[in-house]
Amino acid sequence: MDKNPDKGYIALLGWSLNAIEAAENFDRRYVVVAPDWAEEYCEKHDIPYLSWHFERLNDSSLDIAEKLKDMGVDVAIPLFEETVEWAGAINSLLLDNPRLYGQSLLLRDKALMKRRAQLGGIRVGIFEEAHDKADVIRFLKRVNQTLLKLDGDPNDPIHLKAFDKAGCLGHRVIRTPDEVDTIPDEEFPVLMESHLDGWEFAVEAWIHNGKIAFLNISEYVTLGYSVFVPASPELEQYRPQIRAQIEKLIKTFDIDFGLIHPEYFVTSDGEMYFGEVAYRPPGFKVFELLERVYGFNAYQASMLVFDPKSTADEVKAFFPKEVEDARYYAGCFGVYPRRRVVSQLEIPEEVEDHPYFESHELTPPVEETVTKRTAFGTHWGLVYFTGEDPHRLRDLLKHMEELDFYV
Amino acid sequence: MDRQTNGPGNEPAGDDKLLGLLDKFDEALELLAQARDFAKPGKLPRVLDTARRVLLQPGGAAALEARAQALEEAGVFQGSDWATPQFLLPSLTTYSLKSSSADTVVIEALSELRLLAVAKAGYPHPLVSAEHAHHYLTQVMALNLWLLFSTPSEAERETQGRLAQIPRNLFQHLAERIGYEHIIDKLIGEIWRILQQRPIQVDSAKQMITQIAICQADPSIDLGVSGQGADRLVSSLFGPTQGCREDPGLEVYRERLANMDNAALQGEAIGFARAMHDTGLVSPYHPVLLRHLLDHSDHLLAEALGLSSTGRDCLLCYRQLVHALIRGGVHPANPQGAYGLALMLERGILYQPPVAPAMWRQLGLPLSEWSQARLNLAFGEAVSPRARLLEGVMCMLGQPLGVGQGNNPTCQSARALSMWAYNDPDYLMQMVAWAARDDEIIMHFEGQPISSMESSGGVAKSLPMDLDPVSLIVVPHLDRIYAEMGRRCVGREGDPHRWVNPEFHGWWSGRGFRINVDVATGRLFELDTFLRHFYASYHPFYNGNQPVIHPQPAGIAVTDSAARFIGWHAITLLRVSLDPSETMRVYFYNPNYDSGQDWGDGVLVSTAGHGERAGEASLPFEQLASRLYIFHYDPLERGELANISQEELDRVTGYVHRSWGADRVPAAQLQAESGQAQSDT
Repeated sequence: MDKNPDKGYIALLGWSLNAIEAAENFDRRYVVVAPDWAEEYCEKHDIPYLSWHFERLNDSSLDIAEKLKDMGVDVAIPLFEETVEWAGAINSLLLDNPRLYGQSLLLRDKALMKRRAQLGGIRVGIFEEAHDKADVIRFLKRVNQTLLKLDGDPNDPIHLKAFDKAGCLGHRVIRTPDEVDTIPDEEFPVLMESHLDGWEFAVEAWIHNGKIAFLNISEYVTLGYSVFVPASPELEQYRPQIRAQIEKLIKTFDIDFGLIHPEYFVTSDGEMYFGEVAYRPPGFKVFELLERVYGFNAYQASMLVFDPKSTADEVKAFFPKEVEDARYYAGCFGVYPRRRVVSQLEIPEEVEDHPYFESHELTPPVEETVTKRTAFGTHWGLVYFTGEDPHRLRDLLKHMEELDFYV
Repeated sequence: MDRQTNGPGNEPAGDDKLLGLLDKFDEALELLAQARDFAKPGKLPRVLDTARRVLLQPGGAAALEARAQALEEAGVFQGSDWATPQFLLPSLTTYSLKSSSADTVVIEALSELRLLAVAKAGYPHPLVSAEHAHHYLTQVMALNLWLLFSTPSEAERETQGRLAQIPRNLFQHLAERIGYEHIIDKLIGEIWRILQQRPIQVDSAKQMITQIAICQADPSIDLGVSGQGADRLVSSLFGPTQGCREDPGLEVYRERLANMDNAALQGEAIGFARAMHDTGLVSPYHPVLLRHLLDHSDHLLAEALGLSSTGRDCLLCYRQLVHALIRGGVHPANPQGAYGLALMLERGILYQPPVAPAMWRQLGLPLSEWSQARLNLAFGEAVSPRARLLEGVMCMLGQPLGVGQGNNPTCQSARALSMWAYNDPDYLMQMVAWAARDDEIIMHFEGQPISSMESSGGVAKSLPMDLDPVSLIVVPHLDRIYAEMGRRCVGREGDPHRWVNPEFHGWWSGRGFRINVDVATGRLFELDTFLRHFYASYHPFYNGNQPVIHPQPAGIAVTDSAARFIGWHAITLLRVSLDPSETMRVYFYNPNYDSGQDWGDGVLVSTAGHGERAGEASLPFEQLASRLYIFHYDPLERGELANISQEELDRVTGYVHRSWGADRVPAAQLQAESGQAQSDT
């Protein structure tokens, strides 16, 4: 597509073909910043490219910001959790706003993030850092004491998460002190949180000039397995409260522009608890679902709200009306093999013949033995569904958990 | 099953489903079409998977044929072999359509539908003509005829599951659009062409002939005037003689024989012999007669084997042995031994002192449990493993050039077996005895023993199963020994075949060795000298009119029909002589099942019609020279290097540079060449 020289010049931090494709088809100039293994590919396909290794920030980290500045780049967009603080550092130089770097560090560390949220008057569960297994056992006991459980009552579980990893990576649920032994030492330090009984959901909010330009609610059917958009009417009824929560978050974290991806619990009495927030595209292909449902490209949406040269009218014209403009409901299910030994991929006939089934990204198994899932682990691929009825879609996604895709 | 459930009452539902899927397919295709080149691979899986589901529906193939042009323009074939349909090989479809990978099956099916649109629906393709597409599809249909007329086998179900239905739906559609009559005639031609090469393994040919017979007998299939050429094939299997013309069953035939007089028996004997030598196929009725004649007359036995005076002499000299071989190795369930026996007798090899005693050893050879299990697994238990192996030995000795490597990377081992059967039969039988009885073969490499038991692994990753009985037992041992010999050459400069070939194949492999590829760089190396040397060693005009004495191992660079390099391959040089049209030709053995191959740039390997003996492949001398990269020679018997004209060498070099040597030309030579071209013009 022809590029508009009056609009911003954007750096994409990290390698994502979907993002590159979106950028190609958008009127903003762009450059991909990625490790040098991407160089040959970019040359071959004529993709603007700058080589950089995203390791720990250090003294020479400013080099990349200087380089981008010399090229005339206006802003950098992080595509992955690991590039969030890089974007913060780079943008603080490009936009001459040192605060952005500090903000990105807050968004990268789950413990700092929770404290900040708490300070901002946002409700969070009980949380603590753990440096070893003893910390975990103590926290588990204390939480259950607080809940007035007697000896012998089943414990309420606690959640363990890595400080700085995306999504479900390293996420574990612990119920008994015995289970603590299964945590490898190298996973410490971790963040521990009390379990919140409630309905977990995620939000993707595009923010421009400190205001919400588009707010999507993604409904989890089962955390780590399945999600669909837009949310069911039962969850959408909380939209005003959710919107208020996001505005609170924007204020607390002082976010002026960009895409945020927070997670919440809503308890049975309608109270919202903040889980965490990420300053990058969500996993689980929610972007893809949004494109199917609304027809707009979510990467382009991000480029738009990051670009300091975008106008308010332009942003307004870009986004559709939430929920009302949705074509249908779209969801996906992450497949984990259920058997210990698998030899082939076999999509169950009931899935394949279901009118809601759209496509899948599963590949035949490379190994026969399935590694035991310790934490929430990574799925083997997604299965996509679309349909008119959110309840049918939700039940269908739930039902997927009982099926074998690998036999 | 599918057909039953899709009765008239259910059709609207099926249509709805197809329409819904087609909507999804069109959407996926649109996304692919719009995607930039670099993003296409990411959009393709959804297209292929949706296409798979469309193909499973009745009418799905037709719907995709209608979208053929859109499919191709969206980039479905981009970056794969299917992007250049003019080079596609029909024979490869048998593998892709049976693949366990859904994507492979689907893209193959889409490619066929695309060519169908080119052939029948006026899709003007930039790379293939309608005629070419039609021709290609006919061949594909003929090669996969089983898909039209059979339900999925157990093996297919196991590897493909529901996927196995796709090739069937596809072929049903292809057959309706192209017409059965084209397929049958093509298939018959193919069967004849293969059988002319007299392979040892004829099971697949027999299956195809059976398919044709079934087609001919089915009143619902209108074959029109086609299928005439199949009569000899069908009758040679199911009713070659007066006594069994209507395929009465073995028991009835046995009873009829008991009531025949000498003249009638003679008629039967001649009928069977003619059918067998016409086609290379043996009818299950034939062994019934042979076994009957054992108690009657050696004269009629010779008739029934179709022997010439040489064969008859041999039979009469080794009467007891021949009787024992028929009793032990020729049954209605494994009749091909009769053909092997007849040809073996014709070769006169029983007159070599060790061969007859070795045959007696073979008759009584105790087989190891492992050998018995392998034979039973591969061939079933209709006859004993020993009888199966005996049949295999007779066939290999009778048809040394009918050995095939199957779908395995073991061309070296197949070549060795063929060479021994041809040149050193008792050595072959020694190998069989060691392998089948002892589960171990020991060969020596430069004085050091190599045991097939101790060696760590062969070229083939899994045990080959699609082989004749002898290869089935011996190849795993040879393959390991061959690979071990290669390992012992690690670190030596140059190509290991220099040392391995003579030690592996036999003393007669020349110790002189030439290669025209620099092993380190992969570039052509002293091509000119290489060719001069080859001419001097093998070409009768330059080597003092000396025919090839012993079969010699050689290496060729195999190219595809577009003359692109595919890989290195082992062959045996057998003869060099003038063909009936006075062209100097090299006759060679190729361990591939079908030696009739198109190597591109006009190099068409012939298997008949140019003076070939059964199983030989041949090429004009200069064309063979242009694909050769390794040969052996006797250093003491080299001819005149100097006498070959530059013109002739330039022609050969041209063939090399236009094919596998295209990107191997050393830089310096390129410059020299362009200089020369300028001075020529």
